[in-house]
Formats: sequence, C-alpha cells, structure tokens
Amino acid sequence: MSVYQVNKILYLTDNDAAFRKRLTAEPETVLKEFRLTTEEHDALTSGAVGKLYQMGVHTFLLNHLYRYELFGVNRDNYLSRIREGMKYDPRFEQGNMPVQRFIKGSS
Amino acid sequence: MAKLVLAAGVPHPPRLVYEMTQSPGKMRGEALMKQVREQVEKAEPDLIIEVDSDHFVNFFYNNLPSFCVGMAEEAEGPQETWCPIPRYTVRGHVPLAKALFRYGVNAKFDLAAAHELRLDHSLVVPLHFLNPSMELPVIPIYTNGFASPLPLATRCFALGRMLRRFIEAWEGKERIALIASGCFAMDVGGPLRGWTDTEWVKTISDFLVRGQYHALARRATEDRINAAGNNSGELLNWITVTGAVGKTKPLFLEGDEGSGYAVWKFD
Repeated sequence: MSVYQVNKILYLTDNDAAFRKRLTAEPETVLKEFRLTTEEHDALTSGAVGKLYQMGVHTFLLNHLYRYELFGVNRDNYLSRIREGMKYDPRFEQGNMPVQRFIKGSS
Repeated sequence: MAKLVLAAGVPHPPRLVYEMTQSPGKMRGEALMKQVREQVEKAEPDLIIEVDSDHFVNFFYNNLPSFCVGMAEEAEGPQETWCPIPRYTVRGHVPLAKALFRYGVNAKFDLAAAHELRLDHSLVVPLHFLNPSMELPVIPIYTNGFASPLPLATRCFALGRMLRRFIEAWEGKERIALIASGCFAMDVGGPLRGWTDTEWVKTISDFLVRGQYHALARRATEDRINAAGNNSGELLNWITVTGAVGKTKPLFLEGDEGSGYAVWKFD
C-alpha cells in the first residue's frame, strides 16, 4: 500500500497549507493518520532521501522535503542524501550545482 | 473552420521570471521567450491550446489520467507557494474544450476531462511570456509526463494528429496557437540534478529540425526518456505538438542545454 502513503504526505505538504502547518508542528500525530510501514516512517522522519528514493517515492515529491525543510532535509544536503546508496556516477560531477533557492511564499 | 496558425514549444523554468528581475536582459531564456512571443504576436491567435504535464498539483496518484482536457471556465495558478511568479487567473474556452473532448472520444481517444483545475508553474510560466495579461483563453491538454508508466510517445503523436483534425473540423473561426510546455531532457531534483543528456538533446533537435517527427516518437521510449533525467517526460508534450504540425518544419529551434524553444508557422 505504502509508498503511495509517503507520496501522499509529500503531495499534501505542497498543496495544503493547513496540512503543512500541522505536519511541521506535530509530525508524529500527523504521520499516525497514514498507513506507513516502520521502514517508511523511519526513512521519512530521519530525512533519508536516498532510501525513500530507492523505495520508489517520486522525485518531484521528494523535492518538497528541501523546499519546506522537513525532517532535517535542506537545500544543502538534499543532493548528497538522494545519492546515498547509489554507486558513484561520473555524471554526479556535473550535477553538483546547488539546489535552486526560491523566494519563500507567504504561506 | 478554425485554423492552426502557430505551434510552439517552450520550457517553464520557474526561476526565470525572478532571475530576469534580478538581471534584466542577461538571461538567455528571456531572449528566447521574447523570440517566441514575437511570432505568437504576429500569428494573431484567438485562443491557445497548451499541452502540458502537471507536476502533482492538479493531479496525484489517487487519480492520474494519461490524457486530460481542461474544460474549466477559469482557473488560477501557479498554486505552488515556492514559485516566484505572479498568480494569474486563466480563462478557458468551455465550448471548444467540450467539442474537443467529444471529437477525441469519437476518434477513439478515451480522454479524461477536468472541469476544475489548479494550475501549476508548468502551465502558467509559458503563458506569462506568451499570453501577457492572460488576454487569450487557454485550453489545457494534460499528458502524464512523470508518473510511470507514461503514455507511449507514438500515442502522444497520434493525439497531436487528432488535435489538428479537430481544429480543422471545428465550426468556429478561431485562429489557434498550439503550445507545448516542457524541456527536451533535464533532471531537476533527482540524483542527476544539473546533468544534461546532451546526446539525447541533440538526437531530439536533429529529428525536429529535419521534420522527422514520427521517427522521434518511435525513438522516445519510456526507458530512453527516463535515462535522460527525471524531468524528461515533458518531451511527450513536444511530441504531441509535432503530431499536429504535419510536414511543416520549425521556423526556428533552439536546444539550449535541454530546455528547448521552437516555433512552427502555418500562414
């Protein structure tokens, strides 16, 4: 069932300001509302982007972790984290540009 | 009957508008968007059909069509709070969208229809440049460019051919511009972020310049698209548009490191 549930949490984070506020304020309470496996729960709450990626969470949705700085993920560590567990790839060298910085919206 | 007066493809970099305000006249994307805009102005369209892939703003895995026609009277976007461009209200064109839906179903395209839309940056950024003040109505056509399995590129091409037949069969007198939103190939937030698959970008550009559109569609398998980075499914929007241009070759085409800008004229 589940990678869907992780995707859904990240989708709601970007699309529902009230949900995002609740998730930030009381993450454990909010996460209980979803049917996560222990592995998914732990990967998410420890900001293990690479593990979530390997599980099949969509990269566009993973991006919200750094955009909203959730579970310790930010613009500076996102790339190194998503590559955790991957073999070295020379293309990483070209990919080392920093993740884009956006002006934060009002909400 | 209506007339297809112009087809175009442009990317939708969310930062471009912001960067232009920081260093006006310096961004390559600004100049290329202007070039496309000038052609759109000359073509004097009454209406835009925009082929785009939603980035999990209007659609999600709970309900994610391969192809969908937007038939809202109006819709707002971009919805993403992190996207630094003005928020617009975009008008639709319900009668034409409904007719397109019916025409598509009769032509054996089992399209989805959406009467309410939340527009994301990928739909709005091209309009910010090509439809200033949102004066023209816009019919969005969504392709699933991101959630595997993607629709076949050859099917997207056939969708484009159907669009052209629909435009020419439509009873109105509208002059229509058909716009693809998206890049050729790019990785924007996956592990290969910043890398460009220059070989694939060149292959795409070569096929487009030669007018070998169906050959491109045959080459653009999901595996090939995914190998070029997590954002590369937007090529399906380009391929859809090439299905509508017939034998016409692009007036100009610019690969720009995977971004992709082009215009086709039909007058």
